[in-house]
Amino acid sequence: MTWDDVSVPAQLPEVVDQISYERVVMNAATTWDYVPWHYNPQYAKDHGHPTIFVNTMHLAGFIDRIATDFGGPYSRVVRRKVSLLGSIYAGDSMVARGRVIGKRIDTAGGARRYLVDLEVSIFNQHDELCCPAEVAVELTSGP
Amino acid sequence: MTADLSYEFAFGTYEDALQMVGARTEPRFAGTAVSGARIQHFASMVRDPNPGYWDAEFAKSVWGGLVAPPALLTGLLMPPPWVPNGQPPTASISVRVPLPGTAIINASNDAEYLTPVLEGDILSVVEEVVAVSPEKKTRLGSGHFIETLETYYRDDGAIVATCTNTLFRFTPAGAR
Repeated sequence: MTWDDVSVPAQLPEVVDQISYERVVMNAATTWDYVPWHYNPQYAKDHGHPTIFVNTMHLAGFIDRIATDFGGPYSRVVRRKVSLLGSIYAGDSMVARGRVIGKRIDTAGGARRYLVDLEVSIFNQHDELCCPAEVAVELTSGP
Repeated sequence: MTADLSYEFAFGTYEDALQMVGARTEPRFAGTAVSGARIQHFASMVRDPNPGYWDAEFAKSVWGGLVAPPALLTGLLMPPPWVPNGQPPTASISVRVPLPGTAIINASNDAEYLTPVLEGDILSVVEEVVAVSPEKKTRLGSGHFIETLETYYRDDGAIVATCTNTLFRFTPAGAR
């Protein structure tokens, strides 16, 4: 996809990802974030959570996956703003719903950047909003 | 098993914390260059098929090398949990702000990625405390929001990303 092909507004397909204990443990291992509630269920319970949960990097990585699945292999995330409203726990489903909210040409840095603005929201299986995000993706333009 | 994070935390009052607003760290360097192994382990965890992470030939032709997932950037600067000299790893400045809270959780994050980070890059980060809120009560407990600005550098001096993060440092509800 190129920037020229992008329609505004547009819905992105919903993506559901099952978050197993293995995935949460991988989360700590891949990011080196060993805050105990990312790997120790008892510690998580002692701090008011039902069990271990994924960190911000995992949520951001999922959001980026949605963004570049949309933009294609020549696209890249240039900005991402997330708010953490709730947690995704081991055993949960992580549900991403997104839409295209704008496209623009940015010349602030001197070069022309062809940007598409997305809104991606992550819900759990109870349809509770856990992580709303705004993402800007750079695409190529022209044939 | 009791997890102990106390080696990372600085404790003090809100007034102590305000003294740290504007404080800026010296550059903190990653111990190793960005590796394809870490790139692909993270992409596997997220289940992201982006060829920039997986296909070395494609990634080299388009980006100049295997690309580090932008979301992994903070992790690339995380110290390992154990080092052979016995010194505790240097924690992020956000947990070195002296406050009473015994737990942390991220509240928001706003990152701008200026240029792709590639396999082989050696990264460093400079952190600054931007603001500390007065005490707030939430469902998790009472505490303070700490806003920090992180600037990430490549070893040639180029800024690769900036990130404003807000962390909630709190005492869990029910804890004494």
